[in-house]
Amino acid sequence: MNVNVQFREDGDVLKGYIEGEIDTYTAPILREELETVQIVEGRKIELDLSKVNYMDSTGLGIFVAFYKKVTKENASLKLVNLSNRLVRLFEITGLSELMSIEIDEELELK
Amino acid sequence: MNTKSTVEIVTEWDIVAARQLGRNEAKVIGFGAVDQARITTAISELARNIYLYARAGEVTIERISNEEKVGLRIIAADKGPGISNLKKVMEDGYSTSGGLGAGLPGVKRLMDTMEIQSTVGNGTTIVIEKWVK
Amino acid sequence: MKELQIQYQKILSDFLANQTERNLYIGQNFIRQLIQKKVAPEEVINIHKYAIEQIYPDLPEDISHSYDFLIEIMVHFGLTLKEHQSLLEQQEELRMEMNVATKIQNMILRTTVPVLDQIDIGMLSVPIRKMNGDYVHFLNNNDSVVSVAVTDVVGKGVPAALCMSMVKYGLDTLEYATKDPSYILEVLNRIIEKSVDDSMFVSMFYGTYNIKESKFTYGSAGHEPAIYYNARKKTFFDLESKGLLLGVMPEVTYPQYDICLEENDFIIMITDGVTDFRKQGELDPRDVIKNLALNCNHLSAQEMCEEMYTYLKNLPDFELEDDFTVVIFKK
Repeated sequence: MNVNVQFREDGDVLKGYIEGEIDTYTAPILREELETVQIVEGRKIELDLSKVNYMDSTGLGIFVAFYKKVTKENASLKLVNLSNRLVRLFEITGLSELMSIEIDEELELK
Repeated sequence: MNTKSTVEIVTEWDIVAARQLGRNEAKVIGFGAVDQARITTAISELARNIYLYARAGEVTIERISNEEKVGLRIIAADKGPGISNLKKVMEDGYSTSGGLGAGLPGVKRLMDTMEIQSTVGNGTTIVIEKWVK
Repeated sequence: MKELQIQYQKILSDFLANQTERNLYIGQNFIRQLIQKKVAPEEVINIHKYAIEQIYPDLPEDISHSYDFLIEIMVHFGLTLKEHQSLLEQQEELRMEMNVATKIQNMILRTTVPVLDQIDIGMLSVPIRKMNGDYVHFLNNNDSVVSVAVTDVVGKGVPAALCMSMVKYGLDTLEYATKDPSYILEVLNRIIEKSVDDSMFVSMFYGTYNIKESKFTYGSAGHEPAIYYNARKKTFFDLESKGLLLGVMPEVTYPQYDICLEENDFIIMITDGVTDFRKQGELDPRDVIKNLALNCNHLSAQEMCEEMYTYLKNLPDFELEDDFTVVIFKK
């Protein structure tokens, strides 16, 4: 079980593509990867979760901590391409009201 | 008598040259067979790291002494990528040598003292010392 | 080291002279000393080399050199051994921390299920590892109201246990204040947000049942929605409530809702360990639970909880990966 992040600059947006499973064991790895992101004022960060097969509440903690860090520096964070299951998780926890979440449009159409 | 000599690390064989220099110096100063092996292994690890990650650097071996004893100081310096997470790299189990129990924690165990200075994008300097007991 | 050298030489030369099993036995006992004194493998070989050179002064040079070679190789073995020992120590520390955390839990977080005539309450909470990340808190200090808080703490070890004790003390203190879920969640949220780090938080479902009026008032903070079964309409309802997890933002408001319970109605409160599993496939876990509940509706609340756990545990596609908690209120 593994997780990894690939970062790419797309215009003025820093895109991070997260792949794998986020649970108690892999969450620290994800946290470390996100810690390498340099957050400056006005930075736009987008995390793509389309290749995240599984995430439990430990994963939420990582995103919440990251979100708080980003907002503190006056940058912006968006989570995109979430599966239905992930969207539900964010909705139940109320985090979808707090953070910008976008569903996976390709999945929607299926 | 030269108390300080330097080996440039560019090719893998330079690692051997650094080892040789280290062993010679250790023998001359009076280290026993086991400590010679340890010092050489430590130099090997540091030189190897330079070769693998920094592409180029140098290993300097210096004789040191104080009122009571003599020893060797080795300085491994490079202008490579630097170490971003020093704490992680000093953790057991996180070995850059392919899980052989070496890596930087191993080097620390082989020597008496170790100091690391590293900045991301600027390079790394590691200083190790061992005294004859 | 000098004495070890002398001892080793004696043992070795005895063995070389007689080669008895007894010699080997003595040799192995000697090793115990070496290990105790933390002598590294490469040093042992050096001791042997020196001893052999003393016993056989005419030893060919090549043999001496072969020992030098072996010493060189052994250095790495020695390092691996030390790393291994160090990792074992770290593991032991972690184990002790978990023990402390579990002790904190057991001491502080004991919970008794209230036994009442007007409503049948059942509870089952099974941790997946040593420490339970779920916590159920009942409140029943008078005859008119019984309340329950079902909490799920994200995080492990001592920090999570401390967070849970914070929740417990918060609830204990609020016992004497108003019973509105909205207020309770608001206060708990503030307490937790102040004290925990950014990646730790708690989800909670809080319900309070007014016995005289048969009214169940509930609110939720980021928690898995409870399931309500209305016997008359023979329908299930999801008790959804929008509320942010506790401990994320400092000022949060929580809505609350009422339902009236009638004869044979029941409410199932769960944590996400029950509904969140990896190999889900097409199964909707909430539907599974609803069907299950209907099938064992004739049992007592406690029996329903246990039945549910046993059934889900034995389900082929269901792999328990989180703490399993279910609380049932049955009229």
